[in-house]
Amino acid sequence: MRVLNARRVGAAVLATATAAFMTGTVFAQEMTMWVRDGTAANAGKVLVDLWNESRPDNRIELTVIPNLQMVTKLATSIAAGEPPDLISLDLIYMPDFMKADSLVDISDEAAENPNFDKVIDAYKDISSYEGRTYGTGFAPDVSVIAWNKDLFREAGLDPEKPPRTIYEIHEMAKKIAALGDDTYGFYFAGSCPGCNIFVTSPLMVAGGAKILPRDGEDTALEGEAVKEVLQVYRDMWTEGLVPESAETDNGANFVSGFTNGNVGIAGTGGFVIPLMESDFPDLDYGVALLPGLEEGQVSGFVGGDTIAIPRGSKNEELAREFINWVLTDEAQLEGLAKNGILPVRADLATDNKYFADQPKVQVTAEALKVGYVPWVFHFADMVNSDASPWINMLQRAVFDGEIDEAIEEARERMIEIAGE
Amino acid sequence: MSDIPLERGAIGVSTRRVGTRLPARVIVALICWLVIAIMAWPLVMSFLASFKPEAEVAAVPPDYLPHSFSLQSYLKVYGYQAGLPTYLFNSFMVAFLTIVFCLVLAVPAGYGLARFHVPFKEVLFLVLLASMMIPYQALLTPLFLMFTKLGLTNNHVGLAIIHTILQLPFSVYVMRNAFEGIPRELEEAAIVDGCSPLQILGRIFMPLAMPGMVTVSLFAFIMSWNEFLAALIFMSKETAFTLPVLLTGVIDSFYGSVSWGPLQAGVVVSVIPCIAIYFLLQRYYVSGFLSGAVK
Amino acid sequence: MYANSSRYVGLLFMTPALLFVAVFVLYPLGQLVYTSTTDASLLGGGEFVGLENYAKAFSDKGFWRSLWFTVSYTLYITPVLMGLGFLAALLTTENTRLKQFTRGAIFLPVVIGLATSSFIWLWLFDQQVGLFNRLLVDIGILDKPLVWFRKAELGQLAVIISVTWKIVGFGMILMVAGIQSIGDDLIEAAMIDGASYWQRVRRIILPLAARSILLATLISAIGSMLAFDQFYIMTGGAPRGQTFTSVYWIYQNSFVYFKLGYGSALSLILMVIIMAGAAVQIALTSRKGSS
Repeated sequence: MRVLNARRVGAAVLATATAAFMTGTVFAQEMTMWVRDGTAANAGKVLVDLWNESRPDNRIELTVIPNLQMVTKLATSIAAGEPPDLISLDLIYMPDFMKADSLVDISDEAAENPNFDKVIDAYKDISSYEGRTYGTGFAPDVSVIAWNKDLFREAGLDPEKPPRTIYEIHEMAKKIAALGDDTYGFYFAGSCPGCNIFVTSPLMVAGGAKILPRDGEDTALEGEAVKEVLQVYRDMWTEGLVPESAETDNGANFVSGFTNGNVGIAGTGGFVIPLMESDFPDLDYGVALLPGLEEGQVSGFVGGDTIAIPRGSKNEELAREFINWVLTDEAQLEGLAKNGILPVRADLATDNKYFADQPKVQVTAEALKVGYVPWVFHFADMVNSDASPWINMLQRAVFDGEIDEAIEEARERMIEIAGE
Repeated sequence: MSDIPLERGAIGVSTRRVGTRLPARVIVALICWLVIAIMAWPLVMSFLASFKPEAEVAAVPPDYLPHSFSLQSYLKVYGYQAGLPTYLFNSFMVAFLTIVFCLVLAVPAGYGLARFHVPFKEVLFLVLLASMMIPYQALLTPLFLMFTKLGLTNNHVGLAIIHTILQLPFSVYVMRNAFEGIPRELEEAAIVDGCSPLQILGRIFMPLAMPGMVTVSLFAFIMSWNEFLAALIFMSKETAFTLPVLLTGVIDSFYGSVSWGPLQAGVVVSVIPCIAIYFLLQRYYVSGFLSGAVK
Repeated sequence: MYANSSRYVGLLFMTPALLFVAVFVLYPLGQLVYTSTTDASLLGGGEFVGLENYAKAFSDKGFWRSLWFTVSYTLYITPVLMGLGFLAALLTTENTRLKQFTRGAIFLPVVIGLATSSFIWLWLFDQQVGLFNRLLVDIGILDKPLVWFRKAELGQLAVIISVTWKIVGFGMILMVAGIQSIGDDLIEAAMIDGASYWQRVRRIILPLAARSILLATLISAIGSMLAFDQFYIMTGGAPRGQTFTSVYWIYQNSFVYFKLGYGSALSLILMVIIMAGAAVQIALTSRKGSS
């Protein structure tokens, strides 16, 4: 998802990046792996380093691919018969690649290795097609809601109580925006399709809505929560609770919108927690599950990357071995958790020495369990592209105020795309 | 810098002949220098920025001139992924093959067109110019499917073929003109001496058509070196990228932070051969440009 | 003459090039037509679907929007390129050292790649580190650095600025040649008649250089209709896909959404539109040229 492309993430990992790019080129390669730019690149780097340390003869050469080029490069390389041996890709594209028989079936590994079953459900779900398994979780991410405790205090709100419904978001945002001209209640990146499927759609899903259609016969954007959420966004926009720059933010300020410190509430991802720690240690904030229409309704969008073997891999056996290894305690704990990255195994996600005293990380682990991931084809077309029905709906509804028409138009277009 | 030679001299549009008013001349000269400054500015800025250390390139607001000299950006690009030498080699190799293909195809074709009666000559000429009328952008999909079957993706020859498609019409055009410009007497003398058409081509015509061939090579090089869309689609493997594709990776691939310094270093590396060749061979460049477009 | 001894020797010389065109241009063109009637995906497969892709293209708002955007881009940039090219040609036609030097400077960016120049300008336009922004602030045109690529109109303007810098020299060279081919006697006669500089430009140079101007316009307009590199690199289609050009939209459909069949249909439609446009322009050119 584009949301992970947020360039701000880079600041935290620039140092490791330099190291990655040194090690990546100095040694001869045994196996190649592509990872997309963003959080997954960080996970890929620490895991590959750990693997390479102990296996000098089976080294993996990791290549970071620009986010926007990833699916194209992968598809053309598979079509050309020269794909990398391993691929860490945005989980949302799994259905397209599985349906096209572009990934290697690893059902045998999944059946033999008990660790496969311990992986967070969303990743198991998105990695299987017609009863077969084609991959597993690699670098998890999930959306949560973040609130600025200092601003909550200033506005006379309880800094330990996050909003529990979208209506509460609105109420709280009003109070915070009243603090001054440069203070805003809420932020979202209004021109970023990926950011909003990540943080806005779970508000709808928590409220009981269904967003994306699985095929041309399916329903889309069903449920009152779709309209309710858009209405609340619209109201917050017209009341000036959201900075004007939000309308044109294509994701560049998805993270900094909140980290700047003048916004009360914003949807964000688990990946900001290590970033905040390193870059904004003074900002007092909290994270919670994204709410719905009523108290107790919660959800999140499970994002991040899955790992799979492209059809045509020259080192299939070794690649299978790597995937098995990724799910071991060693990789999950000493690779991911130790470096502040969430493990993909549900049994280790929070129950480990690195995260035991990190309440915020515990929240994201919880979100991973309750969160959803849409199992659909044509996600790029339907959601992620700059001209998608999803972002068009959001923009038309929030900035133009034509909520019903916007939903209707997007629904038709989504079902049309799903039917292709 | 360069003086682009065109045959004719001044033709009276100058202010000098108007009445030798000094202020007008001075103003024109000032305009000239201003224009030169505007045109050179982006390249100069990019060149200077490529030598700034990382902190200076990322400085907000930026400074025009570097305060210190650093090769940091070049080192980063040098070691990027498969390494700059690989990408330079790819770009040179593809450009070289494109030149070879263009010459091998266009020299005989131009000779045939210029020197023989061929049935349906003008129709066939138009066929050779076909790819000028059919945008190559439209052909990339079928070519991609075809090349995946032939194993020509991620391949120097494959990309060179695409670039040849692009460059062939111009090459044939230039070679036809070049051969047509050679006097008949030379050819007739050779026939009397008993040379075959192939010998005539090799011994008499090719040396005389050398300027045309230089023009063809020069344009093939510049086009191939700079071409982006086909390279983006056909070179998916990180060891097969050409320079323009490399740059898309450089800008975005250091874990999400924009790497402006290495990008400018990459720009300088890709620009230098073009500019060098342009300065060395500009006579051919401009005359080829005009013969291809004006005649 | 060998030409008389055999009619086929010449053909023999042309055969390699003709075969090449047949295999790599005409055959793929046929394939393109065929693929456009299938639902082929980049990931494989493809069944015959008749004219469904064309029907879909007809109602594809994204495609028509991209086409309109491309046309508007072409309509904006072509007069800019031709106008500035003509002025540059007037400025540098005379073969003095300074003017030849100026001509060389204007022509220089033509030889560097469009992708490369787009990368330079992407950086120059950056809101944070961009020196063009800084320059505009320093000379008082802007109050503070702009974010150029967040609004469609601004993004388009930025691309036009960068592309103008890159290829204004192209039209200039053609026009310099056109102007220089006008006979000195004609201009001198006008000077004796007391025509001022601008009168001479308007009455003599402009009409007589019309052919080269129109030719430059045609080449430049076709190039703009096929624009891709500059938008791919500088705007990425943002915001909301408003700066997708037609070729970009076709790329997007074929290689990002994997819909090769549909992309092929769009390619053919675009090709026909461009050829029709060029034909109209050529018709206009020849009429004006003969008058």
